Amino acid sequence: MTAHAEAVAHAAHDDRSFIRKYVFSTDHKTIGIQFLFLSLFFLLVGGLLAMGIRWQLGFPGQAMPLGGWLPQSVAPGGVVAPKTYNSLVTMHGTFMIFFAVMPLLVGVFANYLIPLKIGAPDMAFPRLNMWSFWLMIPSGGLMLASLFVLGGSSAAGWTVYAPLSATPDYSGVHLGQQLWCLSIVIFGLSSLLGSVNYITTVVNLRAPGMTWFRLPLSVWALFITAVLAILAVPILAGAVIMLLFDQTIGTHFFQPDVGGQPLMWQHLFWFFGHPEVYILILPAMGIASDIIANGARKPIFGYSSMVYAMIAIAFLGFVVWGHHMFQSGMNPTLASTFMVSTIVIAVPSAIKVFNWLGTLWRGNIHFTTPMLNALAFVSMFIIGGLSGIFMASTPVDMYIHGTYFIVAHIHYVLFGGSLFAVFAGIYFWYPKMFGRQMSERWGKVHFALTFVFYNLTFFPMHILGIGGEMRRIYDPTVYDFLRPLQPINVFITINAFLLGLSQLVFAANFIGSLFKGEKAERNPWRDTGLEWTTASPPPHGNFAETPHVYHGPYEYSVPGMDDDFLPVTTPPTGRAA
Amino acid sequence: MTAHAAAPSVGHAAPAQGGVGVYTQKVGMWVFLVSEVMFFTALIGSYIILRWGTGAQWPDPRTVLAIPITALNTFILICSSVSMVKAYAAATRDDQAGLKKWLLLTVLGGATFVSVQAYEYHHLIEKGFLPSSGVFGSAFYTMTGFHGFHVTCGVISMIWVTVRAFRGRYAGGNYRGVETIGLYWHFVDLVWIILFTIVYLI
Amino acid sequence: MEAAEHKAPNYIAIWGMLAILTVVEVAIVYFRLPRRLTVVSLVFLALWKALLVALYFMHLRFEPKRLLYIVLAPLPLALILVVAVMHGFRGP
Repeated sequence: MTAHAEAVAHAAHDDRSFIRKYVFSTDHKTIGIQFLFLSLFFLLVGGLLAMGIRWQLGFPGQAMPLGGWLPQSVAPGGVVAPKTYNSLVTMHGTFMIFFAVMPLLVGVFANYLIPLKIGAPDMAFPRLNMWSFWLMIPSGGLMLASLFVLGGSSAAGWTVYAPLSATPDYSGVHLGQQLWCLSIVIFGLSSLLGSVNYITTVVNLRAPGMTWFRLPLSVWALFITAVLAILAVPILAGAVIMLLFDQTIGTHFFQPDVGGQPLMWQHLFWFFGHPEVYILILPAMGIASDIIANGARKPIFGYSSMVYAMIAIAFLGFVVWGHHMFQSGMNPTLASTFMVSTIVIAVPSAIKVFNWLGTLWRGNIHFTTPMLNALAFVSMFIIGGLSGIFMASTPVDMYIHGTYFIVAHIHYVLFGGSLFAVFAGIYFWYPKMFGRQMSERWGKVHFALTFVFYNLTFFPMHILGIGGEMRRIYDPTVYDFLRPLQPINVFITINAFLLGLSQLVFAANFIGSLFKGEKAERNPWRDTGLEWTTASPPPHGNFAETPHVYHGPYEYSVPGMDDDFLPVTTPPTGRAA
Repeated sequence: MTAHAAAPSVGHAAPAQGGVGVYTQKVGMWVFLVSEVMFFTALIGSYIILRWGTGAQWPDPRTVLAIPITALNTFILICSSVSMVKAYAAATRDDQAGLKKWLLLTVLGGATFVSVQAYEYHHLIEKGFLPSSGVFGSAFYTMTGFHGFHVTCGVISMIWVTVRAFRGRYAGGNYRGVETIGLYWHFVDLVWIILFTIVYLI
Repeated sequence: MEAAEHKAPNYIAIWGMLAILTVVEVAIVYFRLPRRLTVVSLVFLALWKALLVALYFMHLRFEPKRLLYIVLAPLPLALILVVAVMHGFRGP
């Protein structure tokens, strides 16, 4: 039997058992979808924790609705206790960053898209890929468990600074912090296994004709993200292990009594932490690029500069970490080097923004739900990026560090940026994943509600920050200078609740369409990508025969063509393969 | 190995677009080793920072640690690296007898290293030198402990590879699995070369 | 494409080098040379040994350049981390 015939036979007769097909699957598509359900669940968890934070900030000292259900030690009389509040902010950040956004951007889209978009039948190491997902279960489980143990969960901020985090006596948190550390180490392993796969797959398994500079930007972004992860996550793992040892076996890495250095924790953490934020935004940029080119029916403006910009961002991202530490009492000379590098990193990001705008300029724009979300990504990312420039300047950061200005920035880039891109990606690839269309109408309703309430929630935080409201504080009204700002806090809280409620529209659309959605065709968005040349959803093994790639990724509205898009597999004669 | 079973079951009758020019398992192992370099950077880097960056109290390692036996242990690990590369060479030549012999010697070398380390730990703990013994104790046990953990994982993997070798899985010039585990093994040796110098000698 | 057709290095010779370098390292410690000289030579010797293992046992000497770039990637970062943080603690 020839390799081709064998291949077709294999694709047709998928005789895996139920467990092998849907539970312990090595198929990258199944794994991607598993990550999707897992991370949407944790998005919900993170969101609920945020509601708790907002309740306390908006209505300090008042009993929370349903607060009576919480144990008295956590919320006496239904009122969030101060230590509980610290746990809320810590766990909100932790769940959102590690268990929602990272898995959504990387676990879902890297897994699902990479093999399809490069023309491979699966990842380089499918079994390792399966492990990468299943390790998230103990990791997530331990993190959830930490919420319920005696002493409560970690309450030192998602950045768990030492010595607060290293010395149980300071925070009153014992097991919770240890579970946090253990969970993160396992998460790190999951992330590394995934990244090894993504890198090796892109390097070695591209279909014939899929050269590096014909890769879609989503693949470039995910590849570069994986490189960032390989280099940065192990530092986190090392640091967290040292922290865990400080808490458990009496080591002194971060405790000053016998020469440990709390500041070293900050350096190690942020050496990971800064590349981490680029891990959180690069895939979003890649996804947005693909969707914007598709929605504008135009090639991405400046494709190669987009690639070089991402590489520059990745590299520079490793030498800016000190800008998180300007207020730490760090060496001022060192601080100024970080100021320079941080200001420089704005340049490649700006190049990308201009290229998106250049793509849209004179495009034939289709305002579909994915496109709307992608456009929101660009505009909100601009705002988030602009606030970042303020922070880059050390003298300015001295004033705004640790205030709500930073919180505003974070949420503009993470929600306004990453999450809108996630929504865009889900709406866009849902038909490919599930073979069904989501409702366009309800997608647009969800978008509109989310966009409005999101801005009303987070924009005022810039004002709070400039007004001096600090982060992570339990009750702003105890400070005279903050009391005049309290109406803003109330305003934010109300909009935050409405933002949360708006997500029900998305949930209903997502779940409902799984069962009732219109059946999707092979290429509903008329996209050039390789994944749209195969069925929705693709069979096990992805392609009946190896695709051959003849074009760049964004051949839209090519002059002289009948159709306004040219799939990458169309041979140069222009006739269908 | 796994990659053969799972990879190109469909397509790729045509050659894939040129990658880095190295087979997939090797690329994967090197990428993994890059992450390991960063992991040990965190640990060893912290040692360097704490010892020479901060002016902390630091005993002369030679007064605490046993150099001679550890030097011998270093030599043993280096020998196991040699036997590993000999095993690889045998596999490329389809010398099955040689492969099996050298793999067994590698397992022996690795297991000896770990045992000597364990014995050293026991000895140090008895002397009262613990992870809680100042920053030096903290860093020493963490670094050498994780290195030892990596060697142990290596020994276990090596045993598995040896079993497969005895079952003829690397016959007919099918050397890739041996080379891949070999890379991990040499890496663990390399880290020790650096650790030994920085922690014990300097 | 694979295991480049090259003459296998003399592994025993490399082993001999490594053994000798280790002995020299230990000797340096016992001869109690001036501190700075000790540190510099030990670091140098350790790096030499590491290079031998990487280039010959791990075959980097014979692999395509692209693989070398992958392998070299973490090294400048490791250096930056340690140097910057040391500088941060010790001051200008």
